[in-house]
Parts: sequence; C-alpha cells; structure tokens
Amino acid sequence: MIRFEQVGKRYANGHVGLHELSFRVRRGEFLFVTGHSGAGKSTLLRLLLAMERPSSGKLLLAGQDLAQISNAQIPYLRRQIGVVFQNHQLLFDRTVFDNVALPLQILGLSKPEIAKRVSLALERVSLSDKAEQSPADLSTGQQQRVGIARAVVHRPALLLADEPTGNLDPRLAAEIMGVFEDINRLGTTVLIASHDLALIARMRHRMLTLQRGRLIGDGEAS
Amino acid sequence: MDEQRNRQAAQRVGANPQSVASKPVAQGDEPSSRELLNAWLESHRASLLDSLRRLARQPVGSFFTCLVMAIALSLPMGLALLLDNVERLGGSWQKAAQISLYLQLSLDEREGPRLRDEIAALDDVAEAEWISRSQALEEFQQQSGLGEALKELPENPLPAVILVTPKEVDKAALEALRLRLAELPGVQQAQLDLQWVERLGAILGLGDHFVFGLSLLLILALLLVIGNTIRLHIENRRSEIEIIKLVGGTDAYVRRPFLYMGALYGTGAGLLAWLVLAFGLDWLNAAVVRLAGLYGSDFALQGVPLDDGLSLLLGAIFLGYIGAWLAVARHLSELQPR
Repeated sequence: MIRFEQVGKRYANGHVGLHELSFRVRRGEFLFVTGHSGAGKSTLLRLLLAMERPSSGKLLLAGQDLAQISNAQIPYLRRQIGVVFQNHQLLFDRTVFDNVALPLQILGLSKPEIAKRVSLALERVSLSDKAEQSPADLSTGQQQRVGIARAVVHRPALLLADEPTGNLDPRLAAEIMGVFEDINRLGTTVLIASHDLALIARMRHRMLTLQRGRLIGDGEAS
Repeated sequence: MDEQRNRQAAQRVGANPQSVASKPVAQGDEPSSRELLNAWLESHRASLLDSLRRLARQPVGSFFTCLVMAIALSLPMGLALLLDNVERLGGSWQKAAQISLYLQLSLDEREGPRLRDEIAALDDVAEAEWISRSQALEEFQQQSGLGEALKELPENPLPAVILVTPKEVDKAALEALRLRLAELPGVQQAQLDLQWVERLGAILGLGDHFVFGLSLLLILALLLVIGNTIRLHIENRRSEIEIIKLVGGTDAYVRRPFLYMGALYGTGAGLLAWLVLAFGLDWLNAAVVRLAGLYGSDFALQGVPLDDGLSLLLGAIFLGYIGAWLAVARHLSELQPR
C-alpha cells in the first residue's frame, strides 16, 4: 500500500524533515507513527497527502510514485485518502451533514447516495442525531468524530490521522481509537501520527518511531 | 475471532461483512457517466445558489460593488451613445454634403423649377430642392431675427437656391459634380460646404478614439474591482478551500463558486449600468429637446437601444466572469495545499 524507499525531505531553508526513510505498509494494516515534536511525523503525513514532494528517494502509494505525480492528479490521489486533523478542520457555516457530505459531493455521487452514506458514517461515529446541527454546537470529542466521519464517508483506501486525540481526555481518546479500529477492520489502512505513547501501547499495533527525521524503531507497540 | 470482530464492526456501521471481506480497500463505487453528469449539474446549481446566498448576505456591500462596476461600464457606454446621437444630429453624411446652387438674381422665377427638374434627373443626384427668392427671404427673416429691418429693404436681395443632395459622398466626385452644376446656365455660384462635414467627422472620430481609450481603461478598472472583491471572498473562505483541496476537490471545483460570483456581480453591474444610462439619457433629453426647440428642431436624444442594452449586460457578465477567473487563478496558485 505504502512504500518509502530512502525518502528524504529537505526544505529550502536547509532544514531536513526526513532522512532516508525506508519502510512498507501493507494493505489493511493499522500503524502508528510516533516521535517527539519535530521528529518528522507531520512531514511524513504531508508527503503522503502530496502536500509536499520528497526531495530524494521513492515514495509509492498504491503504486503511484508521489515524487512524480502531476498537480492535476493530486486531487484524484487525495480521493483515495481520508484525513483526520487534530484541530478537526470543520466548516462551521455548514451543518454536520454538509461537512460529512463534502467528499461525496466532490466525488459526484447522487443526492440519495450521499444521504445514505452520510447517515451511515454518522451512525458509525454515533452522531446520527446531530446531522442538522452546526459543528460549533458540538463538544470537542463530537467535532473530532465529525472529522472522522468525513474522512471515511467516501470509503478511502487509506486513512491518515494527525494527532487525532491530542485535544481529548483519555476516555474520549480511547473511544476515538476504537472508531479507528472499527474502520480498519473494514479493510481501510490506518496510519496515525501520535505522541501519546500510553495510548499507543494499549492498542498493540505496529509502531514506527521517528527521531529528527530518522526511523529509529519499527515494531509492535508494547 | 477476527471474523467475529469484523462482523460486529460491520454491523455497527451498517455494512455488509461479506462485501467488506471481498473489498480489501474500501473504495467508493465508481459513479456512472449519467450520475457524474447529474452531479456536475447539481454542483453548478449548488455553486450558483451558494454564490447568490453569499451576495444576499451582504446586500449593501454587494450593491456598492455592482454600483462601482456599473459606473465604470456606463461612462464609456454613455459617451458612445451620446456620440451616436451627435452623429444623428449632424444628419446623414449624404444630407450633410449638400451642394447649394445660388441662382442669378436676374433669372426668371419660372426657370428655377425647370432647372431643379433638370438637375434632379442627373444620375449622380439623389434629390434637388428649389427655394424661391421669396421663400429664402421668409426663412431668413424668421431665423435671423431681423424681420422688421429686412422689410425696410427696397427689394429682396436674396437669390433663389437649389439644394442638391448627391447620391455618393465621395469628396472628388462631389467636387466634380459641383463644377458641372456651376456651369449650368442661370447658376451664379455652386457651393459645396464639405469642410464642416469633415470637421464634424474628425470630431466624431476623435470622440470614438476617446471612448475606445476610456473603455479600455475602465475595463481594466472593472477587472481590478472584481478581482479585488473575489480576492476578499477567497480570503474569507481560505480554510474552506484548504479543506476542499485536502478531500480531493479539483481546482475547477474550487474555482466554480467564485466564477459564478463574478458573473453575478457582472449581471448586477450590467443591469445597474443599463438603468443609469436609461435614466441619465432621459434626464438629459428634457434639456436637449428644449435647446433643439429654440433652433426650430425636433431633435431628441435616443435612449438605450435594446441590442445595446443587451450587449452591455452580456459584456458585464463576461467581464465579471473573466475578472473572477483571473483573481481565482492567481490566488489559488498561492494557496496551500496545491
């Protein structure tokens, strides 16, 4: 599903974000990427979302080389990816339903199909009764679940999450991780960047550890 | 064990566990061409309605933007319409290029109409009008305001005149015709007053150039106004654009509502400009009619013809669209993510 081969990322100011990173992720796998601030977790996610290009090496996502992908192809690549942000990135002038429907509208699905899938996604995150509310009226945990519903509503092959539990209390964080596991069981590859080692240890999934842009650990969290 | 957990997870999300197992990566079903077309139309409808709603949410701001654009549009258009009216006032080129034949004072009154008929029969003459000496004096008395003084004259000093309207308005041909008419018996003098026609033509030509230059400048101003307005809309929706791009929205998808917004601004501006011109010309017309009446003319300003009004409206929509397109193209390239 994902293949990093000696991937490096050097910024124009000379800062090295990633240093010759190599690893593979199988289809349907659930893994964490961890490390301190500045370790390169966000850079890794940005490369996978084609928000940035690798400076060196080869980065393959579902067979596509992200170093070579054209700008016009990027939106179509992103349609295969769901992304969950720490700050939710919701549109507060739209309802919860409209927020979740956004990727489906972009995909060009019919209204009935959109309604069906959005209902399903909201049900998945236990927010069916909040569909017509504004995200501003929801709690932080509920907002995060709206973000997750939006990320999975179009049934992406890959789900990326950047510190999805960063602002949540431990109980809510565990609940959100449970939602991610449910999604993973349905076949979606899940990659979560998090520095919450305690939470990661409880989940017992594969964990990549980054330090200053280098991969220093790859194994099951314990 | 895993199978059991998968079934439970599938039930929680309302999915079919069998299909999940057979579809390792849960991509969406590809929509058909018909569905895509419907979705594309729906997306356009939604963008148009969304743009309308956003404009309606700021009625004062939207109105003033349209008004600024309308003023920029109505200035050159108004000048062009005034020039059209001036051309009409000057009469057609053919009429303006009349040759005046002053007949000899000694010529018998009955010779005048005969000479007029002879001239009217010429191939290159469209029309010939005879004005008798008494008619000429009468007109002069009316127009000069010297009626009483002229009555004191012992005899009518004015000659009879034949006004010749040529078929062609070519300077060389007119001059040749004038020389030919001057040779006719009974003609004292043949006068072709082309100079004022040329001057009027030059003035109108200058006016056309001025209107063209002004139009270019004001179109540029209009593009800047719409570009700046759309830039502000983009700034206000920056986070929305970022999210749309992150979930796979193409540039065309992002651009669409802004293009509709530009076209809507253009529509508002075009309609306002049409109204401004129609009312402006109507208001000016009262004064023009009064002035023309003092000169014994029934001249009146022509309003905005329907085809000109429609051209103005379509031009405004087009300019709004182009202005928005340029602004979005420029600002989208600056936005991250690409």
